[in-house]
Amino acid sequence: MRRTLFVLAVVVLAGTCKKKPATTSNLNVQNQVAPRVVRLYFESAAMLLAPEQRNVQLPQNPAAAMPMIARELTKGATNPAFARVLPPDTVIRGAYLLPDGTAFVDLGGTTLTQGWAAGSHEELMAVYSIVQTMSANFVEVKKVRLLVNGTPAETLAGHIALDKPLTPMRDLVDPRAR
Amino acid sequence: MPRFQRITCDNARNSSRMKRILLFTVVVILAATSIVLAQQAAQATLRLPAGDKPIPILHQNLMTFFSATDVITALGGTVTPDSHGFKVTLNNVVAAFGPDSRFAVVRDDLIEMPLPPVVVDGKPYVSAQFFAGFLSRAADMEVSWDSNARVLSIKPQQHTVANVQLSVANVQGTTKVVITLSAPVDYSILKEQQAYTIHFKTPIHAPYNDQAHEDPNVAHTTFNGNDLVIQLTAPDVVGDAYRLENPIRIVVDLRKAAAPPASGVLPPAVTRPVEAPGIHTIVIDPGHGGKDVGALGPGGTMEKDATLALCRKLAASLAIKTGARVVLTREDDSVVSLDQRTAIANQYKADLFLSVHMNAAVVKGARGSETYYLSLEASDELARKAAERENAAATTPSSDLKLILWDLAQQEYVNESSRFATDVQEEMNAIAGIQNRGVKQAPFKVLVGATMPAALVEVAFISNPEEETKLKNDAFVTTVVDALTRAVVRYKTDYETRIGVIQPTAPEKKPAAPAPAATTTTK
Repeated sequence: MRRTLFVLAVVVLAGTCKKKPATTSNLNVQNQVAPRVVRLYFESAAMLLAPEQRNVQLPQNPAAAMPMIARELTKGATNPAFARVLPPDTVIRGAYLLPDGTAFVDLGGTTLTQGWAAGSHEELMAVYSIVQTMSANFVEVKKVRLLVNGTPAETLAGHIALDKPLTPMRDLVDPRAR
Repeated sequence: MPRFQRITCDNARNSSRMKRILLFTVVVILAATSIVLAQQAAQATLRLPAGDKPIPILHQNLMTFFSATDVITALGGTVTPDSHGFKVTLNNVVAAFGPDSRFAVVRDDLIEMPLPPVVVDGKPYVSAQFFAGFLSRAADMEVSWDSNARVLSIKPQQHTVANVQLSVANVQGTTKVVITLSAPVDYSILKEQQAYTIHFKTPIHAPYNDQAHEDPNVAHTTFNGNDLVIQLTAPDVVGDAYRLENPIRIVVDLRKAAAPPASGVLPPAVTRPVEAPGIHTIVIDPGHGGKDVGALGPGGTMEKDATLALCRKLAASLAIKTGARVVLTREDDSVVSLDQRTAIANQYKADLFLSVHMNAAVVKGARGSETYYLSLEASDELARKAAERENAAATTPSSDLKLILWDLAQQEYVNESSRFATDVQEEMNAIAGIQNRGVKQAPFKVLVGATMPAALVEVAFISNPEEETKLKNDAFVTTVVDALTRAVVRYKTDYETRIGVIQPTAPEKKPAAPAPAATTTTK
């Protein structure tokens, strides 16, 4: 009886182990760091998203490059004509890509954690600057899902639904940059 | 050799024993699953002041549900089925719930339940939270469930007697009757011919019996048991009541009715939705509230305050101009979740939903108004995907049809929302000095899941000092209220003409008078 239970346990364990996914080939790309031109989207004076080009030392592996580009975005624009889109204390806790093309960007920081008092326009710009930046710099990214402190959030400031992955919105991008 | 035989023999015996054990394990697992999943009927004791009574209960999804009919009947009320679910009546208080929703409607309020009611053999079973919410309103009773002893106790609520103080002051023609309470007290307000009666649901300690006032609007204030009667000087005196905290105060503003409504009347009486086609129920959603202050103006104006002030006036104006029932998702500075706002609209079977917000931007000089509605993609990407998957898996006519019907229904809401948003934006554009930022689509959380035409208006930029000042100006707020009222009337007339409720050549529907009796309840 005891032996049978042991056999059952082994079978169950073996079954569980088999389901463990194989490591993605992405992670095996050699992580050579090289300068790359990236496009970071900020708010222009026309109240639309416009790109700022920046030279950034980036690893070739998109999995490693993704959080670094997101962190560049939180530093704000160097062009004085562009407005900052995320609260200054925003941190990028991580960013990763699923095989189906969904990028996850995990946000944190005091303001977003404690409740951001922002208007719809500010929130639209913040959310879609990330969506637009991720989509513009990685061909693999089809849609972007935002998390706050590692968990699904309803919204960043009470307006834009974050419970589904978002795709870039053309109307929010400055026509000159489309 | 014999050893080998023994082992073989053992193996055979083991194999048959193992089969038996496996079979047993499968049976145990199946039984355990069915115990968890099945509706487990059982009995519990209903403990009333009059004595104990057995009632049927059932366990489902680790929750206990009680037979609503047995509990309510024992208290002298009734539970009857209606077209959407069940109607519960006790002491003339009616609540309604259905098996599809976690929310029950009672008067103009919602009772939130952890899970929707379960219907077994045509009888509704609800969680204890329903009884707690309903009986505190209908019978001033409190409910507790002891899961170990399986006793559902219902007994009269224990109250502390609240001290009441009253002051009457006239400021520029408006009389402010301020009732200060030493403890939280539930109350309702009833408008009569020439008086307002505030009925306190728990005992109060009145400061006096009757007092006359030298006031243009208030003649007498009389305390009679748990009632406070504010006797008015004339029948055309109208009022607006609200509640303030720290200390707890009920404020009734009274003034002579002007030709157009200035700052509103009490919300109209709530009845069950009218089933006829047309726009009968409108839900207005003042953005943010409570600790969610919304955007902040440079002068310190909070979005939540600006939206509430505007929406209260809008609700009053709409009730008069459209004759429809108007429901606010919040009537005071309370937190209402985004999901709950849409749930309120769905639960009231609203025909139109308008969320009101004030905008903010980092860019200096941002100004103007814009109106949003939900894109079809945002409104139901996941449901559509699920339907597509289902369709691909089984290409039966029924799933094809389901998909087409689903798309039609969603497309209709989106088309109607787009028309409504356009009416709203066009009327806003007609206001002098307002910059048109257009009609747009975005995945606003508060619009997701609304099963009626829905739009969200961003009135002005509170982040712009000039527009912030305007938002604090009563005349400007009234102009916006008038514009939004015109937009709703325009959409209503257009929609009702299209569906044939009113004739295309008929003039605009004559505005109906507001209901004479109005009640409001505050927790």
